[in-house]
This record gives sequence, structure tokens and C-alpha cells, in this order.
Amino acid sequence: MAAVYKSLSKATGQKGDAPAEGIKRNKQRVLILSSRGVTFRHRHLLNDLASMMPHSKKDAKFDSKSKLYQLCELADLYNCNNVFFFEARKGKDLYVWLSKVPNGPTVKMHLQNLHTTEELHFTGNCLKGSRPILSFDATFETQPHLKVIKELFLHTFGVPQGARKSKPFIDHVMAFTVADGKIWVRNYQISEVEKTEKAGEEEEKSSKAKSKLGLKDTDINLVEIGPRFVLTPIIIQEGSFGGPIIYENRQFVSPNQVRSELRKSKAGRHNARAEKQLERVVKKGDLGLRSSGPRKAPDALDTKQVFA
Amino acid sequence: MAKSRLLSALAAEKGVDVKKVLQKRKQKETSRRKRREGLPDTRNLKKPQQKKKAQPEAELESDDDDEDWEEEEDSDSDNDMSGLIDDEAEEGDSDEEESDEEGKLDLAKFEHDESSSESEVEMEAKIERPKKGRQATDLPKPKADKSQLRKAAAAQSDSEDSDPEEDSDIDLEDLEDLSDAEREDLVPHTRTTINNHTALLAALSRIALPQGPSVPFATHQSVVSSKPTAEAIEDIQDDLQRELAFYAQALEAAKLGRAKLLKEGVPFTRPNDYFAEMVKNDGQMEKVKARLVEEATNKKAAAEARKQRDLKKFGKQVQVAKEQERAKAKRETLEKIKTLKRKRSESGAAAGEREAIDFDVAVEDEIKGADKKRAGAGKRDGPAAKRHKKDSKFGFGGKKRHAKSNDAVSAGDLGGFSVKRMKAGGGGKGKTTPRLGKNKRKAAAGKR
Repeated sequence: MAAVYKSLSKATGQKGDAPAEGIKRNKQRVLILSSRGVTFRHRHLLNDLASMMPHSKKDAKFDSKSKLYQLCELADLYNCNNVFFFEARKGKDLYVWLSKVPNGPTVKMHLQNLHTTEELHFTGNCLKGSRPILSFDATFETQPHLKVIKELFLHTFGVPQGARKSKPFIDHVMAFTVADGKIWVRNYQISEVEKTEKAGEEEEKSSKAKSKLGLKDTDINLVEIGPRFVLTPIIIQEGSFGGPIIYENRQFVSPNQVRSELRKSKAGRHNARAEKQLERVVKKGDLGLRSSGPRKAPDALDTKQVFA
Repeated sequence: MAKSRLLSALAAEKGVDVKKVLQKRKQKETSRRKRREGLPDTRNLKKPQQKKKAQPEAELESDDDDEDWEEEEDSDSDNDMSGLIDDEAEEGDSDEEESDEEGKLDLAKFEHDESSSESEVEMEAKIERPKKGRQATDLPKPKADKSQLRKAAAAQSDSEDSDPEEDSDIDLEDLEDLSDAEREDLVPHTRTTINNHTALLAALSRIALPQGPSVPFATHQSVVSSKPTAEAIEDIQDDLQRELAFYAQALEAAKLGRAKLLKEGVPFTRPNDYFAEMVKNDGQMEKVKARLVEEATNKKAAAEARKQRDLKKFGKQVQVAKEQERAKAKRETLEKIKTLKRKRSESGAAAGEREAIDFDVAVEDEIKGADKKRAGAGKRDGPAAKRHKKDSKFGFGGKKRHAKSNDAVSAGDLGGFSVKRMKAGGGGKGKTTPRLGKNKRKAAAGKR
């Protein structure tokens, strides 16, 4: 009996596996962690993202900022093949590293305009660990570096089918858009509402067609959930946290540079003022208007000289 | 003078000839000058050869770099080795063979790199590089010719990687050598952009998930929009427009994804009785709700306040209108009374006088009563009236002196003078009509 059952179950199992056999199974695990020195907002963003990724493993803060290659070993320990790393610098700048672990590639991006879910007060909500639909901008298909970045997003943010803690329904969309040389990330809830009746006949026809397909008579609305952030790609490395740089964004200006420019411009104003002041003093001295400056040479036609 | 004497004395002591020493010094100076003058010439001679010379120079300079490279390459090759193993470890990897090949090729290339010093990386090659990859591969790289395209690309990527360090070195040193004229011609050398398409695509193919029409949508659930979203955004600073574009992109994806998933028979909609942990917990949603409520109440309160303000403004208008109406009504009643009186008096002349007088009294009383009423109403501003009286009596505001004295105008005014009267004599009046009876006078007054 047991043998029969076994053979039967084996046969059915093979049938079930058959469609998945030809293609590589999408198996992703993501190690999420941050460096030391992240602010609370960075941390909250990390938590928000982690809560949406049931295939992720959150780890304690990583100590080093220079020896990032150690992350590979760490990911290996946790049996992860992706690393999503927040590197905070100076307690304000946040860099995000996305990497495929054993052999790259790695993308380093600068994260700006960060708003966590809690700050945003959006009314949208979704199941914890439901699989998102990832919406990519068509621009992602135009350039190789964007293609690579898209693939990395797909691996990191896309919850693989049958992930351990994933929920069986789909109720949110994650949108990645390239605009202004940056990648904008948004997260929306899919809410299904009753379709509003417009013109009679066409609607009926389409609804009939849909009912054949098994669609219900509903329309889709999106409600934003959060978080929001903007990523600027900086470099792509061939390896995982190492190896040659195969892409570099020249448009990227580091926040340090921006700050220093600001400071310099401010200092420039002061310097100009100080210089002007000095100039005035010298000029006055030249005119003999200062007690300490060099005396003006006595003029022969000066009244004092003439009527001496 | 004293100094020279001292010197000679010293020389005598030491036994050295001062003059000879001085001569030697002069000779040295002249030779130095000659060298200085001669140098530019030799440099000019060198110039034509400079390009040829650049290579050995680079070789000398690049010794340090070479060491760096070796280190890098070592680590790279290690990586690749590990990559090899990992690739094999990956299950069902379609491009396993490819990556194998790549690893081998890379190894071979590294060996070659180590054996021949990479000093051939020349200025020319680098300047041309930004134009793009394929041209750079044509440049003389002895072994690159033989190797396959991919290897060339890899090598190219390597050389590009080492760009930043090299660039700075060569630039500085060249600038020192160049004369002014040539410096003017020199375009300031900027760092080349790294955008190695081949390497990027190779990396992509290594990690890419299978996609295509044959692959079920449920495996990846990714949708690429039909047209670039950036087109819909005119001004990136315009929040509303931007968010709308993002929303449209996401909505398109959601619709498409839903249709595909339903087609594949994957459950999409969450049933109403399916409860599970949400991304935002109840507390957070409560906060959001509270905020929404607060916003709504604020809005309502603001609307209410605005309404009140408007009402107030409108109320004033109403009041004014009412007052006007009241005044009008009063005027009308007075008019009515007057006409009544007239009629009465006319008819009264014919009928009994007594009645008329009675009626008159009644009407007068009525009017007086109204007046009194008005006075009563005026009593409210009684003090003001008193004040007014006092002001007129004792004066308030303006000059009071000489108010009654004549001035040019009043002195010349002959308004009150009548020649007739003067001629008629003091106080004597001309023939006057005799006074009418009382009733007639009254009737005349009524007519007036």
C-alpha cells in the first residue's frame, strides 16, 4: 500500500514539477543590514523594507565601512545570495549597496529624499510578506547599466514564488522610475473597487468577456503605502563588493562636495568683505586720512604752505 | 676692506690662495648659466621625439602602478576562481559553460598581463576611449589581436579600470614637460567615464532570471511600462505631476499584472475573511485614521468660520436695509396723516367746526406723541444733546471772537435795506391788507 502511495505521489509530484523543470527556479534570499552610524530614519526605512521582504534576513549592524568584502562571507553564512546594505556616512548621508553575493555585480547608490512609511501617513496597507508586482519604467531597458540595476531590484525586492513567509495574495505594487538621472521608488496598495457604470452596452460586452476569463467586475485603484525614496546610482562593480568598476556615474556629485561648495561660497563672501575693508584702510592711509598711516607729502600749493 | 684683509689673513694661516678660490667660484657660476641657457634648446630638440619617449617614461613611472595591478589582479583571479566554483554550484545554470569559459579566459589574460608590463597604456589610447569601446580594441595590443572579442573587451575593461590612477600621473608629468605654446594647445584632460557595456551585459547575463513569453508571470511578477515615465514629467520639481506619472506607471503595471495572474490562475484578491499581519499594524493605521479625522474636522471648522464671517458681513447689509425700510414707512405714514388732515380740514370747513377742531387736536396729539416717542428714543443720546447745546452756548471748536463784527462783505451788504421804507418814514408802513379771520388763516395754512 505504502509503495503504491509512494509511486503515485511521485508521479503526481513529477507532474507538478514539470512546468518548473525547464526553467531555473527563482530562489532569492536577501541579507539586509546597515553599517554603524545610521540615523533613526535610516533604520526605520530599513525596517519598512524588511517588513515587505519575507525572503530577507536582517542582521545586526555591520562594523566596518572599508572591508565590505566581509559581507560576502556573512551572506554566505546566512545562506543569502543577495546583500542589501545601508552604508551611513557622517550621520546624514546614506549609501545603498545592492549586491549578488558570490560573484557580483554590485551597485552602489546614494539614497536621498527619504520618507519612511510612518512619517507619510498614507492610508494604504498591505499584507506583510505578500508578493509585490514590480513595475519598472521603460527607461530601464534602454541602457546596460540600468538593465543591471533592474535585475538587481528584481532579485532584491521581488519576493520569489513560494518564499517561506510569503502570503498567497497579491496586493501591492512597487514602482521604480528613472527620472532626472535618478531612480524613484514608490509603493502602492492595489485596492479593488466596484466598477463604475459608464456606457451600457460596451461595458456589458467587456464584462461578459471578462467573466469568461474569470475576472470579476472590479476596477483597480492604487493607494500609496510608503516608504518613498530616491536613488542615484554611483558605481557598478563587476564582483561582489570588489572587482573592477564597470560603470561610473559622472553626473553624481557627492554630498560632501555640495556641502563644501556651500561652505566655500559662504567663506567667499566673508573674504570679499574682509578684503574690501582692508582696501579701504589702505586707501585712507594713502590719502593721509589716517593718523597711523603715512603722512601725505606736503603740497606746495596747500593753504598752509602758501600762507605759512 | 676690513673683510678682505681678514680673509687674506685667514688664507695665509690656512695656506690657501684666495684668488684661486674666487676664480673657481666664478667658473662654476658661468657653467651654471650655460646650462640654464642650454636647457631649453635641448628640450626643443627633444620635443619631436617626445611621443616615442613617452613610452619608456611611462614604463619607469608605471612600476608602482604595476605592483598595484598585480595585487588587484591576484584578488581578481581569486574572485574568478571562487566564481567558477559558485557557478558550478548553482543549480540548473544555463550559462554555466559560458562563465567557465570566461573564467579561463580571464585567467589566461591575467597571466599575459603579468608577464608583459602594462606600460603600453598610452595617452592616445585613453583619449580615444571615451568615443567608445570597439575602437580602443584596434589599438596595438600585441596579444589582443589574437584573442577573441570577449577577451579584448575584458582587457579593455581592465585598462579602463586603471584609468583614474594613471591619468593623474601622466597628466601631471606631461604638463611639466610641455612648453607654453604646447600647453595652450592642450585640452584639459578630464577623467574618462566608465561605462563598459560588454562587461555590464556579461554581468547581467550571469545573474538574469529567465524571462520571456514562455516563463510564467507569477515567477517574477515584474512589468516594464509601455513608455518611459519620464516623458510624462515635464518638471521634476512639480510634485503633483511627478507623482501622477508614477501612479500611472504603477497602475498600468497593476492592471497588466492582475490580468496575467488571473489568467495563470494565481489567487490575486484577498478574501474578506482572510486575516493576517499587515505591513502597518493597527496602531499605526489608527494614527493615520486619527490624522484623517483631525484633518476633516479642521476643514469643517474652517468652513464654519468662513460661513460665520460671511453671515456677519451680510447681516450688516440686512440691518441697513431694515433701517431704510423703517424710515420709508415712517415717511409714508406722515404723508398719509398730512393728506388726511387736509381732507379733513376741507370737509371740516363745510361741516361743523367743533368736530374739525376735535379731530385736529387728535391728529396733533398723535403727531406730538410720535415726536415724544422720537424724543424718547433720542433720550438715549441725551448727554450728547446737552453737550451740543452747551457747545453752541459756550463755544466749542473754532474761533469765537469777532464773530459778530462786520467785515467787508457784511458791511457792503444792503440786503435788509429798502428805499421805500426809508421814504415812507420811520416805522410807517404803507397800506396793508387787513388781517383775515382766524378760520380763513387756518385754511390758508392748510393749503400751503
